[in-house]
Amino acid sequence: MTAAREAHSASFRDPSGFLFWHEGQLYRQVNRSYQENYDQLLASGLYRELQAEGQLIAHEECDPRLARGDEAYKVLRPALIPFVSYPYEWCFSQLQDAALLTLAIQRKALEHGMSLKDASAYNIQFAGGRPILIDTLSFEKYPEGRPWVAYRQFCQHFLAPLALMACRDVRLNQLSCLHVDGVPLDLASCLLPPRTRFRFSLLSHIHLHARSQKRYEDKPVRTKQRPMGRFALMALLNSLENAVKKLHWQPRGSEWAEYYDRTNYSDEAFAAKKKLVDDALQILQPRSVMDIGANTGVFSRLASQRRIPTVAVDIDAAAVEKNYRQCRREGDAFLLPLVGDITNPSPGIGWENRERTPLLERGQADVVLALALVHHLAISNNLPLGRIADFFSRFCRGLVMEFIPKSDSQVRLLLATREDVFPGYHVEGFEREFQRCFTIERREAVARSERILYVMRSKVRAGC
Amino acid sequence: MSLLAAACCLLFPRYAYSYIDPGTGSYVFQILVAAFVAISFAVKVFWHRIKGFFQKLLAKKGQ
Repeated sequence: MTAAREAHSASFRDPSGFLFWHEGQLYRQVNRSYQENYDQLLASGLYRELQAEGQLIAHEECDPRLARGDEAYKVLRPALIPFVSYPYEWCFSQLQDAALLTLAIQRKALEHGMSLKDASAYNIQFAGGRPILIDTLSFEKYPEGRPWVAYRQFCQHFLAPLALMACRDVRLNQLSCLHVDGVPLDLASCLLPPRTRFRFSLLSHIHLHARSQKRYEDKPVRTKQRPMGRFALMALLNSLENAVKKLHWQPRGSEWAEYYDRTNYSDEAFAAKKKLVDDALQILQPRSVMDIGANTGVFSRLASQRRIPTVAVDIDAAAVEKNYRQCRREGDAFLLPLVGDITNPSPGIGWENRERTPLLERGQADVVLALALVHHLAISNNLPLGRIADFFSRFCRGLVMEFIPKSDSQVRLLLATREDVFPGYHVEGFEREFQRCFTIERREAVARSERILYVMRSKVRAGC
Repeated sequence: MSLLAAACCLLFPRYAYSYIDPGTGSYVFQILVAAFVAISFAVKVFWHRIKGFFQKLLAKKGQ
């Protein structure tokens, strides 16, 4: 085996093994140091049980000659996640579901004599509309009497951001982007409102926990050989589960979550637009779709209903929350709603800025839907039309974009309190800039509106 | 030097080999909070038995 194996940029912390790419396929090497734990994962029936519940990523064992170095015990080929997302891109309920899954898995692991050795939110991904644990090497034999080594990590990765989102401001989920190992508990403690000190779960797992961290930060402790029984550990998990479940956040009152209730579209125009978008998907035949500015995912669903893996990105956490709840209710396995701002997409963070990759590098979209978006980019964000066209031509093969003229009530609203410094923002200017790097396949007026829907193919990515 | 190393081993037992740092404060606090919540958890888990015990007791008194 001489072909290059490229180490995965996020897989280096755990000595039990690592991920690597080989000939376009992702593999996981299991090192000998993890042999005993890996064998128990399979022999105990835990792997089979988690598989049956769709809670752990599936894998198959492959040719061990694919291994790198002489430490290898096994080489696995895990199932691929359609689109990797990170906790700071999740809405409240996505993070809550990921937290509850982590606790459910830990409980099952204990029943099989094993325990999760980490509780990183990055080990959870969304596939088929549900959260799933992707790190097969997260399990270790549970020595009776040992506390949960991942307790601190669970509180920092899940409980603290959830409490901040529910009790202070939903946008505080962005703190996870600044702190790659979760929100520091002392920070969470000082940001949470005083009333959270009267809730036992938050008082204990966040406020007092933070004080304990501070108290013991420079003190060694002597621990007993069996300091914490299994029953106490189960009680701790039960307490964490209650803490997570009791946090609620309702997506109300944001500008965008009620957008479709306030929009000036008539029912007829709305149905006409849906038909045009559906036709565009038929023309472009996408392998994957990214709906940018997706709101609650009304148009994203036209793609996901065609069984096309679709990512629905919106800046508004309330709209994404509504979208996710609908996906969960309807069991939509092809739609992934995410919180994101296309004018400031998630950056690369962690070691060398490569541990968590930037949003735009996590797979280019085959087709992008950009509906009722261009006026926000060009007018609200002062982005020249030429730059918008350049970006999309590199990012996607096909583009479905709606042009909204200055005469449209939504654009008039944007210009109501500011000087119009956008002389080139008109249909001719739009087409001139986009035709530099796109072939316009179709242009259709949206019935009973002044908007035009364009179906375009990138000249830059024509061969893709 | 070797004495210092031995002291460190005594102070930080085998749990220190986890690849993520559980944090000393988190470690100590977890044991305390688990002991506390175990009481309410025990009531929850054994509620039927506790209830049954008192029901039997009351029934005996009633007889």
